[in-house]
Amino acid sequence: MQTKLEQEESVQEFQGFNKPLEKPWTQEWKEFFYNQEQGTVMGRNGKSWGRIFLFYLVFYAVLASLFAVMLWVFYQTLDPRIPKWRTDRSLIGTNPGLGFRPMPPAPNIESTLITYRGTDPENYKYWKDSLIDFLQVYRKPGLTPGRGQNIYNCDYDRPPGRGQVCDVDVKNWHPCISENNFNYHKSAPCIFLKLNKIYGWVPEYYNNTNDLPYNMPKDLKDHIYAVGRNSTLRLNTIWVSCEGENPADVENVGPIKYIPSSRGFPGYFYPYENSEGYLSPVIAIHFERPRTGILIQVECKAWARNIKHDRRERLGSVHFELMID
Amino acid sequence: MASDKHGRSDSYRVATVPSMADDNRTFDGVAKSRRKSPTKGKRKGEDLDDLKQELDIDFHKITPEELYQRFQTSPDRGLSHAKAKENLERDGPNALTPPKTTPEWVKFCKQLFGGFALLLWIGAILCFIAYSIQASTVEEPADDNLYLGIVLSVVVMVTGTFSYLQESKSGRIMDSFKNLVPQFATVIREGEKVTVRAEDLVLGDVVEVKFGDRVPADLRVIEARGFKVDNSSLTGESEPQSRSVEFTHENPLETKNLAFFSTNAVEGTAKGVVISCGDHTVMGRIAGLASGLDTGETPIAKEIHHFIHLITGVAVFLGVSFFLIAFILGYHWLDAVIFLIGIIVANVPEGLLATVTVCLTLTAKRMASKNCLVKNLEAVETLGSTSTICSDKTGTLTQNRMTVAHMWFDNQIIEADTTEDQSGVQYDRTSPGFKALSRIAALCNRAEFKGGQEGVPVLKKEVAGDASEAALLKCMELAMGDVMSVRKKNKKVCELPFNSTNKYQISIHETEDPNDPRHLSVMKGAPERILDRCSTIFIGGKEKVLDEEMKEAFNNAYLELGGLGERVLGFCDQMLPSDKYPIGFKFDADEVNFPITGMRFVGLMSMIDPPRAAVPDAVAKCRSAGIKVIMVTGDHPITAKAIAKSVGIISEGNETVEDIAQRLNIPVSEVNPREAKAAVVHGTELRDLDSDHLDDILRHHTEIVFARTSPQQKLIIVEGCQRMGAIVAVTGDGVNDSPALKKADIGVAMGIAGSDVSKQAADMILLDDNFASIVTGVEEGRLIFDNLKKSIAYTLTSNIPEISPFLAFILLDIPLPLGTVTILCIDLGTDMVPAISLAYEEAESDIMKRQPRNPFTDKLVNERLISMAYGQIGMIQAAAGFFVYFVIMAENGFLPIKLFGIRKHWDSKAINDLPDSYGQEWTYRDRKALEFTCHTAFFVSIVIVQWADLIVCKTRRNSLIHQGMRNWALNFGLVFETALAAFLSYTPGMDKGLRMYPLKFVWWLPALPFTLSIFIYDEVRRFYLRRYPGGWLEQETYY
Repeated sequence: MQTKLEQEESVQEFQGFNKPLEKPWTQEWKEFFYNQEQGTVMGRNGKSWGRIFLFYLVFYAVLASLFAVMLWVFYQTLDPRIPKWRTDRSLIGTNPGLGFRPMPPAPNIESTLITYRGTDPENYKYWKDSLIDFLQVYRKPGLTPGRGQNIYNCDYDRPPGRGQVCDVDVKNWHPCISENNFNYHKSAPCIFLKLNKIYGWVPEYYNNTNDLPYNMPKDLKDHIYAVGRNSTLRLNTIWVSCEGENPADVENVGPIKYIPSSRGFPGYFYPYENSEGYLSPVIAIHFERPRTGILIQVECKAWARNIKHDRRERLGSVHFELMID
Repeated sequence: MASDKHGRSDSYRVATVPSMADDNRTFDGVAKSRRKSPTKGKRKGEDLDDLKQELDIDFHKITPEELYQRFQTSPDRGLSHAKAKENLERDGPNALTPPKTTPEWVKFCKQLFGGFALLLWIGAILCFIAYSIQASTVEEPADDNLYLGIVLSVVVMVTGTFSYLQESKSGRIMDSFKNLVPQFATVIREGEKVTVRAEDLVLGDVVEVKFGDRVPADLRVIEARGFKVDNSSLTGESEPQSRSVEFTHENPLETKNLAFFSTNAVEGTAKGVVISCGDHTVMGRIAGLASGLDTGETPIAKEIHHFIHLITGVAVFLGVSFFLIAFILGYHWLDAVIFLIGIIVANVPEGLLATVTVCLTLTAKRMASKNCLVKNLEAVETLGSTSTICSDKTGTLTQNRMTVAHMWFDNQIIEADTTEDQSGVQYDRTSPGFKALSRIAALCNRAEFKGGQEGVPVLKKEVAGDASEAALLKCMELAMGDVMSVRKKNKKVCELPFNSTNKYQISIHETEDPNDPRHLSVMKGAPERILDRCSTIFIGGKEKVLDEEMKEAFNNAYLELGGLGERVLGFCDQMLPSDKYPIGFKFDADEVNFPITGMRFVGLMSMIDPPRAAVPDAVAKCRSAGIKVIMVTGDHPITAKAIAKSVGIISEGNETVEDIAQRLNIPVSEVNPREAKAAVVHGTELRDLDSDHLDDILRHHTEIVFARTSPQQKLIIVEGCQRMGAIVAVTGDGVNDSPALKKADIGVAMGIAGSDVSKQAADMILLDDNFASIVTGVEEGRLIFDNLKKSIAYTLTSNIPEISPFLAFILLDIPLPLGTVTILCIDLGTDMVPAISLAYEEAESDIMKRQPRNPFTDKLVNERLISMAYGQIGMIQAAAGFFVYFVIMAENGFLPIKLFGIRKHWDSKAINDLPDSYGQEWTYRDRKALEFTCHTAFFVSIVIVQWADLIVCKTRRNSLIHQGMRNWALNFGLVFETALAAFLSYTPGMDKGLRMYPLKFVWWLPALPFTLSIFIYDEVRRFYLRRYPGGWLEQETYY
């Protein structure tokens, strides 16, 4: 109340405002940065800087702690092993894509081109090393979390129990083994494929041989018929097919061999539940006689009833280019 | 001398104004003030004096025959049609060229490329460059940049067009004033009278003008019958002046045989030859001069420029430094360009200028409904920053209507009611003294009410005749009823009209009593002349001999009324003896065959143009608002001072130097001018002052009246005030005021009495001619300045949560938390309505009880506002946005730790299996969906924290509890922004169009604690502001 009164009394008749002195802008700037007379740097003296600095220090400290506390509270709502939202409720959805290895080096992170000269070991060393790196966890079980103690030798009739993970044996996938340089030196390289892990995603298999989609490659259909004749259980597999993307590429890519010959990801790996030491099933694609000296676009697809394909969005599929000199 | 000055010698004004010119000296010959009159004083207004001097014509000097010769015309037959047509083709229409206006397309371009638009154009161009480079190098270019470039261009064009339309809309208000009623003129062509449009008049046309017409061009009068014109709009002289065929003065403005374009004919009829048309007329020249004066930027335009510079500076600084940082961090230059675009878009408050325009438009509308019509949108605020008002007296402060204010009869002064609605004191109308006085006033009076005004209140009726006589007529009509019937009963038999040598008017009537054969002779005129002709005086119903005692009483009354600045007339009568002057006696006014001495003195009546009822209050309000009100008038100093006192421009108890001298009985030269708060400055004195002395007067006197000022001096006064750093408002109505109106920071013209030229020169028009409306304008102007501050503070705050995602994206290598399109959705979508709604906010405290703002230090946007918006509230908002971002990322699988450094992988289309914290692997498409969901959530949380910001911005000092939530526009704004956010998030198809994804309900919530924090923080801050006024917190955070 008193302040209000004071305010009212302070109103005076207009007496004129003094125009600030006009100074050349260079001097104005100089004085802004350092004013010798008033000892101010950027319009403030030491004390003033100190106070404002302290104010903002406290302000931001409080803000940061508020942020930290809220983040901590939020962390309490999370489970370290199970994502809060899964499959359809998460943005990851239920349509996994495929990944391929080896991937181009970091500087070419936007590229999907695998290119090398088969005659020069130095030249394909990167690809080989990156594959060795990728397969290390598959070859030495102790490297995975849980040190491979819960590895279980699964099969179609022996799915893993709770807390167990299935073994992926990549050691005798000749020629796609490190000792053989993954066959890169022969200009007939191996590319490894894996399906994206989605927590809790359960595949719906093409296990009815009479009901295969029309756009499924014929060789895959034949393969499925063959498998189906032996054992219907083995049909619980996510199939994989690779093709040249365009008619020319189909010609250039040549024959393709899938290793292991089951040609897919066995169903007992699914659903992925973030178990300790879980390893994604992988499959090696061996290009036996790709044409050299030309860019070949390859598209690989994973096949299950609940995997949709979209080339542009790379849904249920993966795209890479081969160029072998 | 006096007659020279007033032009018209038969005016009552001449009778009542001392014949000695006011030479700014006291009776003992000492200068009234000590201010020296430096002879070497530079005359700044010299070029403006040209107004009068430059007019170098001889049409008034030559003989009529020569005139006809020159124009190939004749007084009877006029021009031939062919000649008229030829002249019209040669000279163009007889109309003032409207002041040069900037072409519409230039205005449009200014809107399109001014302000932030340039920055956004740069952004858009960068987008197109980036896209074209991508298109030429990459096989499948992302359309993002093309899309953004188009959006930015559209945004600039839409906001530019919007601002342009708003501006031109307010500009069009003026058009309603033009082309009001087409003016017609009666012309003689080929011997026939024809009526043509005034624009079609040509040189040499013979024109007939009658009372009530507007003079259609500059005329040389060749025939006149009681012709009088009102030159007030041209010279400021409010007395009607007679015009005749005689050449009386070298100066064309003074000579009687010229009548000027756009002045009004008040009485009589005349015939004249058109001597100049359109822009060549005197009026045209002044109008041209006024339009030649350049007016500086309006205060608000300066503020907005300052603000734009500030924001642009920040944007360019941040943009360039991050462009460089991006280079140093090894980004591709194209990426760096895209960062630059993002930072520009985030930094520029795209919608803000449109918001400001809308806020100003809203205020302009509100002001228009309160009779302040604003021509130029920016002028809305100018009144708010006004620190000095130079007000014209006539018509603005006063009613512009002579009214009887006092009467003296029966040896006492009686106050008449001068209020506009007759609510004042009433006086006794039955005494014989009053009856005698009223009879004279009613009979010895040539004024008449104009016809067809039956329903109009007496005071509002229009009168044909002299202003003083009109005042008497109205007063009598109110006192005794129907004056016309009184006149009918007392038939006038002879009349000797007023002239400047006699200074009286006499008329002889038959009496109403049919049995009385005598004639009644009534006389009125300059009091001292009237008294000279009297031998008796009528007091208390008895006729007494006029002795020295009575003369003394008369003198006292005369001096007292004169001292009030009133125009005093004396009244006397006489019954003529019936034996000498029987009924039917031929009275001869030329021979004067009747007695004009030995009359019976009856009384005095004094008239003044009384102040408007609302003015004293308005002046007081201006004062309490720290605004200096200066009266600038062409009127006599005594009258000016009296009016100034009665309206409070000179407040009670404040004395001028002259008053002090009189009180202490010392010469004026011995008074310390610093002791006198008030000053009445005479025009002649002003003429000899140099600018330093004028500054001295303006600075050291709080209450100033400039009297007898010429139009040029008005301009000098305005310049003097501006030199002091004042923002000056000038009110005026005449053409002669238009240079000052133009020069002022805000010129205020009168809507009713104002001339077209003054309206054109002004920025604002008072539709009711009432000074009190200015106060409304000041209040609205101050309010909008405060509210614009709030609006800008609100809008700028969201800049921080808009920029920080980009900075984090570059520096922390996290997936982008907020996209450019979403930024635009905030700036142009959700933030707009709330920001505009702040224009409706009520004032926090009595804004009319504080000083006008100092234009040099009180900025619209200052460092404290930036510190608050950017440094404090904005940071809390950014924290809220990032928190929501981390929450959504973590709930979907990417814990915060995982995000740092992931950017390159995240944005690589080649990587189709990016692992998250739970081992899940994400395709490019899925993680982009996640990213855009984060953008949406970030956007939504900005909306949510902006709730608190909006509520917080309602007040700068008070608590919300005090301010309340009564601003329904603002409450609507809260609902609107939320609804819009929900619409953008949940409408199907938005994921394709704007990349907005539907959010889970719970994702709306994480921002709420931050909303609450903002609210609590600011309430606490404002609590301390109130608790410790002037304290450190106020110095640092009170914007």
